[in-house]
Order: sequence, then structure tokens, then C-alpha cells
Amino acid sequence: MRGVRLRDLGEAEARQVGARAGTEQALEPQGACRPTAAASQPLPHQEQRLRFSVGKLCGSRVSEPVHWYFKKAPPWCSPGLGPWVLCWSHVLPCAWRALHISAMCAKNRVARVRVGKGDKPVIYEEAHVPHHIAHPKSWLSLHTGNLDGQDHAAERTVEDVLLRKFVLGTFPGCLADQLVLQRRASQVEVCALVLRQLPAHKLYFLVGYSEALLSHFHKCPVRVHLQTVPSKAVCKHI
Amino acid sequence: MAAAASARCLGVRCRLPLPLTSRRASPLGRARSCRFYSGSATLPKGEGADVTGIEVVIPKRKTWDKVAVLQALASTVNRDTTAAPYAFQDDPYLIPTSSVESRSFLLAKKSGENAAKFIINLHPKYFQKDIAEPHIPCLMPECFEPQIEDISEAALQERIKLKKVKASVDMFDQLLQAGTTVSLETTNSLLDLLCYYGDQEPPADYHFQQSEKSEELEEASEENTEKPKKKAGQQLGATWRAKNNAERIFALMPEKNAHSYYTMIRGMVKHRAPVQALNLYTELLNNRLHADVYTFNSLIEATAMMNEKYEEKWNNMLELLKQMAMQKVKPNLQTFNTILKCLRRFYAFGKLPALQTLREMKALGIEPSLATYHYIIQLFYQHESPSKGSSLVIYDIMNELMGKKFSPQDPDDDMFFQSAMRVCSSLKDLELAYQVHGLLNTGDNWKFIGPSHRRNFYYSKFFSLLCLMEQIDITLKWYKDLIPSVFFPHSQALIDLLRALDVANRLEVIPQIWKDSKEYGHTFRSNLKEEILMLMARDQHPPELQVAFADCAADIKSTYESQDARQTAPDWPAGSLNCIAVLFLRAGRAQEAWKMLGLFKKHNKIPRNELLNEFMDNAKASNSPAQAIEIVRLASAFSLPVCEGLAQRVMTDFAISQEQKEALGHLTASASDSDSDSSSDSDGDINEGK
Repeated sequence: MRGVRLRDLGEAEARQVGARAGTEQALEPQGACRPTAAASQPLPHQEQRLRFSVGKLCGSRVSEPVHWYFKKAPPWCSPGLGPWVLCWSHVLPCAWRALHISAMCAKNRVARVRVGKGDKPVIYEEAHVPHHIAHPKSWLSLHTGNLDGQDHAAERTVEDVLLRKFVLGTFPGCLADQLVLQRRASQVEVCALVLRQLPAHKLYFLVGYSEALLSHFHKCPVRVHLQTVPSKAVCKHI
Repeated sequence: MAAAASARCLGVRCRLPLPLTSRRASPLGRARSCRFYSGSATLPKGEGADVTGIEVVIPKRKTWDKVAVLQALASTVNRDTTAAPYAFQDDPYLIPTSSVESRSFLLAKKSGENAAKFIINLHPKYFQKDIAEPHIPCLMPECFEPQIEDISEAALQERIKLKKVKASVDMFDQLLQAGTTVSLETTNSLLDLLCYYGDQEPPADYHFQQSEKSEELEEASEENTEKPKKKAGQQLGATWRAKNNAERIFALMPEKNAHSYYTMIRGMVKHRAPVQALNLYTELLNNRLHADVYTFNSLIEATAMMNEKYEEKWNNMLELLKQMAMQKVKPNLQTFNTILKCLRRFYAFGKLPALQTLREMKALGIEPSLATYHYIIQLFYQHESPSKGSSLVIYDIMNELMGKKFSPQDPDDDMFFQSAMRVCSSLKDLELAYQVHGLLNTGDNWKFIGPSHRRNFYYSKFFSLLCLMEQIDITLKWYKDLIPSVFFPHSQALIDLLRALDVANRLEVIPQIWKDSKEYGHTFRSNLKEEILMLMARDQHPPELQVAFADCAADIKSTYESQDARQTAPDWPAGSLNCIAVLFLRAGRAQEAWKMLGLFKKHNKIPRNELLNEFMDNAKASNSPAQAIEIVRLASAFSLPVCEGLAQRVMTDFAISQEQKEALGHLTASASDSDSDSSSDSDGDINEGK
């Protein structure tokens, strides 16, 4: 694992690490942590860079924000050490509470179902994460607003939000998957996958209602296409 | 050389305008063709030898309809016979399986739209933002409340526009009380509103808010006694009350012009007050005014409504028509349609006048509409069975109508195809039916098929006629074509189809028909099931077919069983039990057949003699005397007269032990005892048994 905490090393090793700060062999496992050989006085931007690059190396989320950076040691420390010194090193006589002023690097939570004990069923849509869009996954909302030279992508997005919320509420507990919204020549086609919870005439009532209301709201024809499935199509259990 | 030839023919092929899809290419094609010919056009006229004198005629620029491309593409696609109508969602759970379901789904969708419109008109402020370019008026919320509150003529006009009958009458009275004179046009439009709705509010489901208000009014005022009468009136069409608001306002008017008289007359006729209408007409004539064609149409209806003899009514109508000619008012299509509609009620008397009317119409050059022919058909073919020999007018009508395309001109235009097909069915003429169906498929005439019940009637009659008269292959093709994409067959239609299959000796299609009938909601239709079973069980068939029949019979049996589970008293028809048992036996499913025999006792039904004989044959084939004795026991349990014969057969055909013989003897003794008891009642039975 990259980013072995130097705190875990023993005193002596830490000292050694500090001593070898100038050389390039120290801190092998932490590649980016290695300071440049010629650095005598750390420039502010270098300090900055090191600070952030170390933070990025911590792939997994750790329990407390670990900000690895090197500070200039106070002059009364042992002069054998280089200008760079570890924060939480036990070598230092004082206990520094360091001020954490760099940004948190939190984990990515977008559109991801958190892994559980293996009993949570997820559909294909939920099982794949957003960076899978355009290979195992496709887009849920298809319009030309994002093409080169086209406008109004933001309006389409806002309309999409309203459409999704509206249909989610109108078909209570019946939707088996996210809606697929397609825009075709000033019409909006809402393609929904519904469960067979309601009798068919009630589904037709809701379809007529949504089509009329959404058409009047968006001032363009909105069509709702349903496909019914007996139950949600579970892709895997996580 | 070959390359040049191929290039030339490629050029020719490119130049040939493809009829449907080259709309966009046509200017290009023309340009190319111009270029192609331009060489000869620019050639000087002097060189006569090579130039063959091609006359260049540049055609006029064609103008295409906006949707020409779509129409052309649509003409390449035929109806998909496997798909449900496009109004339904394309999903097996959401496709209707019977006509009741299809109607209920469409009504549910429409009521959803009405609910949405209610919400939109309740909160119009959320739907005002207009982002459509150009503006779409039908997607904006509607306002049903009058905005102008003060007492003025503009307020009155607004209320008239919003079709608020009571509010506009109140506003008119307030204006008169305030002393302001209301202009003639406004008064006329008020009279229009009152006469159209018969001094009542428009129907309650027209505007949702209005229905609430009218309900409040009804509860508040003392109109409780009028409520049931109002409801009854609304069902038949409101009746014209004497001294109602329209007459009062009409009397109050300082000056009346012809339009006022017209509306009053037409309102009176619409709401069934013919006497007042005719009186008003004489008043109109006394004021030296002329009536217009619409008023004359109403007056013709009024004369037909009076309580007189047919000849008198017809003479009155002729009088009116003469007056119309005198006043130089040209009749229109509605005039003649009204005459024919009234003649319809004259039964036999009306035939000659109807033909005269038709001739008059042609003489004036007015093109008859489908409603005209509908009235004529109704007049000439009023009774189902041709009693005195039916007339041949339908053939003349169809000859005249062949290939014609119609547009909607009369509200009764959509009744034509139904009555035409009814006549074809009663005359049992398939050629005529094909002609009528061809007319339906010409151009846009499919729009005249009418609402769903009329469409179902038309196609049921058409299909029954096909089953009766057409060859079986073509009938089956029509079956696949029409059902279920156009209409859902009644069980009678399926029974007709089965009989047609029987006649044509194509009984192997029966399992398929059964499978289809289950999809159309006829799973529990007992007459259909009995017909199917009877046809399958009647004759012997080759083994594979027998197996198929046995599977079908097992399926039908399971439907009976599921029906039993829902009802308390099990009720299987005797014929079905017999047929199912026979079918199982013939297909070699002996176990199930024996189980069926057990069911007879349970359902209190008696097995037929042929069935027992077949069981005996089967027992002999499988060489088991125990089964044979079982059959005899069963026969004796039912006290069937055939028991004797069976017992004798057992004794002769089978090798049975002594005790079995004794048992048989007991059985036959008991049976013959009961036989001798009943022999005095029925000798024939004994003879039949022996």
C-alpha cells in the first residue's frame, strides 16, 4: 500500500528518514513524498504541491484526515535533521496540534450503491457506476443539447429532473428502473419500466394524466411509453 | 462503349424519378433533366438533320402538401395484423383482450386526461409560462370564469361566449333594469345560446367548475322537484317549456330581425315544440321576412313531428318546399337529408317519395352523402327478413358508390356502413359485402366506420357472412387478418367459424381456434366449449390428430375444473363429459378416461350408450374383464337399459370366472327388475336396450 504512515515507523527509522531527507533513497515506498534533492529551502508552492500530492496517494479513506507534509523544523530541534521534518514524529519534544488547512479528499459517492453484506439486490443500472457510462451503461437522457454548437443543455436537465420526479410520484411504487427520456423533434418520450402492481386500467389512467399534465406544462407533446415487468430485474447482489 | 452504355443507363436510372421517395431529389432530377436536354434546346434550329425536334416543355412547379412525405411513406406501410391498435401501450399486460377491456382502457386514458385538465384549470398560474414557438393555444390553461364583473354589454358578451346560460340571462335582465339598451347582435347571440341549450345549462361534464356550481344551486334552491325531470329531460333532450327565457326575451326585444326568428324557430324544433315553430314561421311571413335554408330544414322536421297522417305530412312538406322555391332559397344537402330522415318513419309510404327526393337532389346537382344512402337503405330494408321480396336498391347504391371518396358532411354519415353490412348479411350476398368492404377501404372512408360498437357490429356481420359463404382458406386468411387486431369476435362468430371448418372438413384447426378463444376472453363460454368438444368427438380421426384433440380436451377439462373451484355447485354439461371421455379413450389415455367415468356420478349426468360401447371396446382391446364388469356395474348403477346388452356382450366376448358371472347375473337382474318396473312406462327403451 502506498503511503505507509511514517508514524508507524519507529523512532529510529523516523530519524533516519529525516536524515536521509536530502538523499533520494529515502522514502522509497512513497514516491511522491520524496522531496527533491536540491531542495534546501522549501518554496511555498513546492510545499503546497507535496502536501496535495501526498494526500492523493491515500487511495482508501482513512479514519482521520492525514495530512502529510513537511514543515520547516523549529531551530531548536536537533540540527542534524534537514529542513524537512515530520509532523507527528515522536522525535519532537513538543506535541504539535497541526492545523489542517488542505482540502478533504473524500471518496466518490455519486450514483453508487454501497457494498453491503451480499444481500442487497441491485439492478443493472445501479450495479454499474457512472464511469461505466458509454461502455456497459448508456445514457438515461438523450438529447442534442450537449453536442457541439447546440444550446439549452441546462434547460433540458432541469426538465429532466421535473419529469423524473413527477413520474416517480405519479406511479407510486411501480417503477422498476430509472426513466429513459428521449427528445425527438420537439417531443419528449418518457420510457418507463413499470411493475405489474396496478391493474391495467389504472395504469392507463395514470398514463393519460401524466401525458396531459406534462404536455401542458412543457408546452410540447409528451408521450409516455410503458413496459411492464413482473419484478425488478436483479443483476447481482452486493 | 460498355462503360458509356452503363453510365448512360445509370444516368437514366438516376433520372427516373422514383415515385414515392424522391421529393427532395425531384428539383435535382429536373435540373439534371434540363441539363440533359439543354444541349438540344440550345442547338440552333437550323441543324435539322440531327435534332429530332424535341419539344421542351418545362412543367409547372408542383406544390406539395406539408405532410406529403409522411403521406407517401405511410402509403407504403400496411396495417400490422399482429399488433393491437396504436392507442394502446405495446405490452402484453396492457393490451386488451376483449372489446369490453379495450373500451375501458380507452375510457380510463381519457378520464386521466380530463383529470389533468381539471388540475390545470384549477391552478392556471403554474402553466402560464409559454415557451412554445409558435404559440400552441390548446396547451394553455382555459379560463371558465367571467372576468368582467360590472354590468355592461361586454360582460354579457363574455358570459355568452363562456356558455353560461343563467348568468347571461341574469346579466341581460340587469342591463334592462338599468335602462341600457342591448344591441341587436348581442340579443341575437343571447337568443342563439338560449335556443341551442333549450334554456338549460350545458351538459354537466363540459366544465368541471360549472358542475360544482350547478350542484350548489340545485341544493340551495327549491328545484328538488325539477331535478328528476331535468335529468330525464337531459337524457332525451330538453323540452321547450312555454314562457321560458328565450320566449320572454324574444317578446321583450324592441326590434327583431330575421336572425331572431331563425334562432327561435330552430330552437323550438330542436326541443320538440313544432306547433310554436310553425306559428312563428307564419309570423315571420307576416312581417314580410324570408326564411333561410337552415330554418326551412327545421320547419321540414317540424311538419314531420306533428301528429298527422303520412299523406298530410308529406303534402305539408311539399308545401314548404314550394314556398322555399318561391322565396328563392336554394336547398342544400341538409334539406334533402332531413326529408329522407323524416320519410324513414313513414314505412312503406315513404319509398316513392324517397326516390323522388333522390332524383330531385341529382337534378339540382347536390352530391348525396353517405347519410343519404343510409336513410334510403333503412327505408327499403326496414325488416330483417325479406317478406315480400326485398328490393334491389342496394345493388344500385353500391354500383353508384364504387370508388368514391367521401368527406364528412352529415352527422349520420357513420351509420352507412353498418346498415349496408346488415343488408348484405340478411341478403346473404358475399360479393356485395366485398363491395361494401372495398368502399370502406377506399381513400379516407375508413373514418366513417363509426364508434367501436358500430365497428364491432360491422365486422361481426362481415365475418359471419364470410364463414357462411366463402371458401375455408380465404375465411381463415380473413380470420388471421381481422382477429384480434380489428375486432374481438363474439362467441357466436367463433361458433360460425367452427361450423365452417366442419363443412370444409378442416377439423385439425380446432385446437388452434380454442387457443385463440382463450385469449379473447371466451375461456368460460360453455356453448363454445360444447361446440368444440362435439366437433372433435364426433368422428374417428388419424392418431396424431387424435392426440392433439385429446390435449385440447384436457385443456377444456381444466377450465371446467377451475370454474368449479370458483362456484359452489359443480355444473358440467353432459355432452362435454361424454366428449371428453371419448376423446381421451381414442387417444389412448385410458387412465384419464376412466377418471372421467367416475365424474359422471359426481355431476349427476348419464353417460351415453355409444360411450359405454366404446369403453367396452377399449376393455376388450386391453383384454381386461375386470374393466368390462366395471362398465356393467356403472351402467346398472345408472339403471341404463343398455346394461343388459353390455352384460351379454361381456359374457360372450370375455373369459370370465364363475363368480364374476354370478356378479354379472345379479347386476343384470337388478337392472332388468328396474327395467321391468319401468317397462310399462317405456317399451321403447327395452327394445332399444335389447
